[in-house]
Amino acid sequence: MTNRVLLSLLILGSVFMILSCSQQDNGYIRFGLSSAPLRLDPRYATDATSARLNRLLYDRLTDFDETSRAIPSLAQWEQLDSLRYRFVLRPDRRTFSSGERLTSADVKATYDFVLDQKNASPHRSSLALIKDIRVVNQDTLDFELSHADVLFPSYLVIGIVSAKAVQQGINLDHNPQGSGPFSMLAWPEEGRLQLQRRHDKQVFEFVHIGDNTVRTLKLLRGEIDILQNDLPRELVNKLRKEKGVSVFSRTGSNFSYIGLNFRQKELGVRRVRRALMHAIDRESLVRHILGGKTRVAESILPPEHWAGNKQIKPYAYDPEKSRELLEQAGYNNENPLRLSYKTSSDPFRIRIATIIQQQLANVGIEVELISYDWATFYGDIKAGRFQIYSLSWVGVKSPDILRYVFHSKSVPPDGANRGQYRNPIADRMIEQAEIATSIKRRGQLYQLLLKILHDDLPYIPLWYEEHFAVVRQDIKGYRLNADGNYDSLSEVSRQN
Amino acid sequence: MKRPWLPMAVCLLWALLAIAGSWLPLDPNQIHLDSILLAPGTGAILGYDDLGRPILDRLILGARTSFLVAIWVVSLSATIGILIGTISAYIGGWLDLVIVRVIDIFMAFPGILLAIAMAGIMGPGINNVVIALSVVGWVGFARLARAQTLSVRERDHVAAAISMGTRTHRIIFRHLLPLISAPLIVEATFGVAAVIISEAGLSFLGLGVQPPESSWGSMIRDGARYMLVTPHMVLAPGVALMLVVLSVNLLGDWLRDVMDTRIRQTGTDK
Amino acid sequence: MLRFLTYRLFSTLLVCTGVSIMVFLLIHMVPGDPVDMMLGESARPADRAALRHALGLDQPLWTQFSQYFSGLFQGNLGVSIHSSRPVSELLLERAPATIELALAALLVSVIIALPMGVLAAVRRNTLWDRGAMAFSLLGVSIPNFWLGPMLILVFSLGLGWFPVSGREYSGSLVLPAITLGTAMAAVLSRMVRSSLLEVLGEDFIRTARAKGMPERIVVWKHALLNALLPVITLLGLQLGVLLGGAVITETVFSWPGLGKLTIDAILRRDYPVVQGAILLISITYVVVNMLTDIIYGIVDPRIRLGSTK
Repeated sequence: MTNRVLLSLLILGSVFMILSCSQQDNGYIRFGLSSAPLRLDPRYATDATSARLNRLLYDRLTDFDETSRAIPSLAQWEQLDSLRYRFVLRPDRRTFSSGERLTSADVKATYDFVLDQKNASPHRSSLALIKDIRVVNQDTLDFELSHADVLFPSYLVIGIVSAKAVQQGINLDHNPQGSGPFSMLAWPEEGRLQLQRRHDKQVFEFVHIGDNTVRTLKLLRGEIDILQNDLPRELVNKLRKEKGVSVFSRTGSNFSYIGLNFRQKELGVRRVRRALMHAIDRESLVRHILGGKTRVAESILPPEHWAGNKQIKPYAYDPEKSRELLEQAGYNNENPLRLSYKTSSDPFRIRIATIIQQQLANVGIEVELISYDWATFYGDIKAGRFQIYSLSWVGVKSPDILRYVFHSKSVPPDGANRGQYRNPIADRMIEQAEIATSIKRRGQLYQLLLKILHDDLPYIPLWYEEHFAVVRQDIKGYRLNADGNYDSLSEVSRQN
Repeated sequence: MKRPWLPMAVCLLWALLAIAGSWLPLDPNQIHLDSILLAPGTGAILGYDDLGRPILDRLILGARTSFLVAIWVVSLSATIGILIGTISAYIGGWLDLVIVRVIDIFMAFPGILLAIAMAGIMGPGINNVVIALSVVGWVGFARLARAQTLSVRERDHVAAAISMGTRTHRIIFRHLLPLISAPLIVEATFGVAAVIISEAGLSFLGLGVQPPESSWGSMIRDGARYMLVTPHMVLAPGVALMLVVLSVNLLGDWLRDVMDTRIRQTGTDK
Repeated sequence: MLRFLTYRLFSTLLVCTGVSIMVFLLIHMVPGDPVDMMLGESARPADRAALRHALGLDQPLWTQFSQYFSGLFQGNLGVSIHSSRPVSELLLERAPATIELALAALLVSVIIALPMGVLAAVRRNTLWDRGAMAFSLLGVSIPNFWLGPMLILVFSLGLGWFPVSGREYSGSLVLPAITLGTAMAAVLSRMVRSSLLEVLGEDFIRTARAKGMPERIVVWKHALLNALLPVITLLGLQLGVLLGGAVITETVFSWPGLGKLTIDAILRRDYPVVQGAILLISITYVVVNMLTDIIYGIVDPRIRLGSTK
C-alpha cells in the first residue's frame, strides 16, 4: 500500500520537475517593475511608471536637461512675442508606429483634446493658459497664450498622439498610437506589458513584481534582466557581491520631507520646527538605511536645478540644541511635546519613520506613529488631517511647484499647501517670480525664496533618494537618468 | 486520557511571557543602527532585526499582542455569538429566521476578506483588529450555540422548566448553557488558534499593530523582506507562531476527546 | 423534493442579495478616495473634480447604489475606476488563475490526506495514527504567509527547483498549490480517518473480511470507496476556507488571481472591482454550498428537513 503511494508521489514530483525546467527562451529582455503602469494614454497618465513607459511610446515637443531647463525635443521653438510661441517640428522625426507621418495637426489634436474640459484630462490645468493653437503648415504651429509665462515651453511635455486616433476615439491604453522608439506588442495582463523596439524588433517585457525579495530572486535566477530602484539597501549590497549581475547608482532628485501642520499651535512656532530639524540625524539615516548616492536635502529643488540654491547652509544634527530650543518653547520632561506622525504602510517608509520616531524621542518628543494603507494615508494628508507626515515629491521639474505647495492661496482644495503655511513674504516672492520677464530673473527670485523657506521650515527637508539599477551581466547599454526614466532602453542589447 | 504536557507547557509559557513581559528587562524598541540584521549569537540570542532591535525582545512583545488579541476576540465573539445563537433558537419564529439569514450572509464571506475590509474601514491598531476579528468570529459561535440549543431544548428537564413557566433568562443560563457548554469550550479553544493566525495575517498585510509595537505577523512580513540576506528574521517569529498555534490546537483536540467521553458518560437522559 | 429545491434556491437568492448590499456599504464606508489613487500627488483640484464627475462619484450614495444594483440585474458589474476596463472582463481574466490554483491545491491536499487518513484509520490508536493526526494539526497551524516564504527559501532559492512567483512558467503552480493545499490536507485527512473508521465498523466489511478477502482490497477498494462519498460532499464546505486562503497565498506568490485582484483593489479603493470580486467569491461559495446541500438531499432524504431548520 505504502509502496503505491510513494510511487505515485514520485511520479507526480518528477512531472512537476520536468514542467518547471521548461523555461521560456524567446530572446525577450525583461524589466522588473515595482509598480505596474496604469495608463499608456499620455493624455491621462499621471503615475511615474506610466510616465516613464510613455516616454518610450511617444515623443513630446520639449524635454528637460539635467538642470530641469526646457530643451527642444520633437520641435524647436521661437518666441514671437510675449504671448505667442512658434514650434517647428524636427525634419528627421520618426513616423507613428502605424507608419504615418507625424504632423503639426497631430500636435494640435493632442493638445486640443487635453484642453477640452469634457475630456477630464488631469493635465488640463497646467495648460489652461493656452488660448489658441494654429497650424501654420505640416511642420509648424503657433501657440497663443492668455497671459505671459516665460516657462511656457517646459509645459509642453505630453506625448503626441495621432490625430486620427483622437478622431476615431481609439483606446490608446491598449493600442498606443505614438511615434516613440518603441511600439506596443501586447498587454496580456495588468502586470505584464510587451513593447517592441521599432528599429530592430527587439521585444522588451515589463513585469510587475511588487515584492522586493521576489524581484531580487527573479533577477538572480535570470527570470528578469533589469530592475531599477525600490530595494532595501541590504538587498542591494547583497546583489553587489553576486556574480552575474552588476549594480550601479547615481544621484536623484526625488525629494523626501516631513510635512508639518501649521494649524497645530505647537508647530506654528518656528523654534519648535527648528528643534525637530536639529533632532533628526539625516546623515546617519542616509548612511545606514538609504545609502549610496542618496544626498541630504535642504530644499524641494535640488542644488543642480536651474532655480535651485547652492548657497544654503545645511542644518546640522544637534540634539543638544534641539533640547535647548524645546525648553525655550516651554517643553520639558514633565510637559513633553507630543506629536502624531502619519506614514504610508509601505515597509520602507515605516522603517524610516520608526527611526525618526526614536531620534525625536531622544530629545524628549513623544511621537505616535500611525501607518495607513496608501489610499487612506494620502486621503488624510490631502485633506489636512495630520500633525506631521512624511512623503516625497517625485519628478519635480518646473519651479511652479513652489506656488502649488507654499503659497497661502494653495491651501487644499486649491493646491498642495496641506499644512496651511502662510507667509506674506513668500507669497509676494512667488507672485513676483511669475511675472518676471526673463528666466534668469525668475531663477534668482526662486533662489531667494528657497532661502526664506529654509529658514522658516514649512517642511523638514530630508533627502534626495538615489537611483540605482541592477542588470544581468549579458545586458549592455543600460544607463540611469537623472529623473529615473527608462530612455536608455533604446540602446540596450543582450550580448552572449 | 493522557494529558498533553508539552502543548500545555508551551501555552503556559506563552501566557506567562505575555503577562509578565512588561516586567522583564527588555529593550524591544531600542534602535541600534550599527547592529542592523546581525545574526544570532552576536550580542543577542536571536540576532537583530532590520532596525537593529533585538529579535528575542520583540518576540516576547509580540507574544503579548497575540495573547491579548486572542483573549479579547474569543471572549467578545463567544459572548455575542452564544447570546445571539441561544436566544435565536430558543425564541424561534421570525426572529430566528432573520438571524439565520444574517448568519448565512456572514458565512458567505471568506472571513479574512471581511476582516481586511473591516480593518481598512477603521484603520490599523490593535483595538480595531479586535473589533474586526470579532465581527467575523461571532458567527461560528452563534451557529454552534443555535444548533446545540435546538438539540437540547426538547430534553425533559428543559421542557419541564419551560412548562413550569420558568423565566426565559433563567432557563437559558441555568438549564441550556451548562448543557451546551462542552462543544462551545472546544470551539473557543480552536477559536484562539484561529485568531492568533488571523491577527498575524492582518499584521502581515500591514493592517495590524502600529510601530514600534510588535506582532509576529508584522515580524514575518519584515523578515520575509530580508529573507535573502539573512533568514533568522523570518524564522524566529514563524516558529514561535507555529508552536503556539499547534499547541493550542493539540489542547483543543485533547479537550474535545475529554468532553466527548464525559458527554457519553453523563448523557443518560437521551 | 420540489419544495426543498425552491426553498434552497430562494434562500440562496436572499443571501446573495444580502451579500451584495453588505459589500456595497462596506466598501463605501472605507476612507480614501479612488480619484487620488489615479491622479497622484501633483494633480490640480479642477482636474480631480472633473474626473470625480466623469466617474459618477459626486452623486449621492443611494443613487450610486441604485445604479449599481440595477446594473447587477443586467449582469453589468460596472467599470474599474483604476484601469477603466469592465469589471466582468477583469474577473473573467483572473478567474482561471484562481480556479487553477484551487484545483491544484485540492489535488495536493488529496495526495497528502488520503494516504494519511487511511493509515491513521487502519492503524488506529497506534503511533502511526497519532503521528498522522499531529502532522495534520501542524498543517492547520502553519499560516500561509509563513509557509509560502519558507517554501520559496528552500525550493526556489536553495534548491532552485521552482520559479519564485508569478504564473509565467509551468512550474510556477507548485509552491502556491502546496502552500494553499496544506491546511486543506489537514482537515481532509481527519475527515477521511473518521469516515473510514465508521465504514470499517460496518457489517459488509466484516463479511468481506470473513470471506478471506485480502485486507488491502478490503480497505482500499470496499471501505475507502464508501467512506469517500461523505468526504467529497463535505469538501464543498471547505471551499470557503480555500477561497479565503487563496487571497493570502496569491498575495505571497504574486499569483494573478481573484484574491490578489481583490487585495489590490481594496488598497486602491477601486470600488467596482472590489464589489464584483467579493460578490463573485461569496456567490460561488453560496452556490456550491447549495449544490452540496441538494446532492446531500438526493443521496440522503433525511437531510432535507434538517437543512431547512
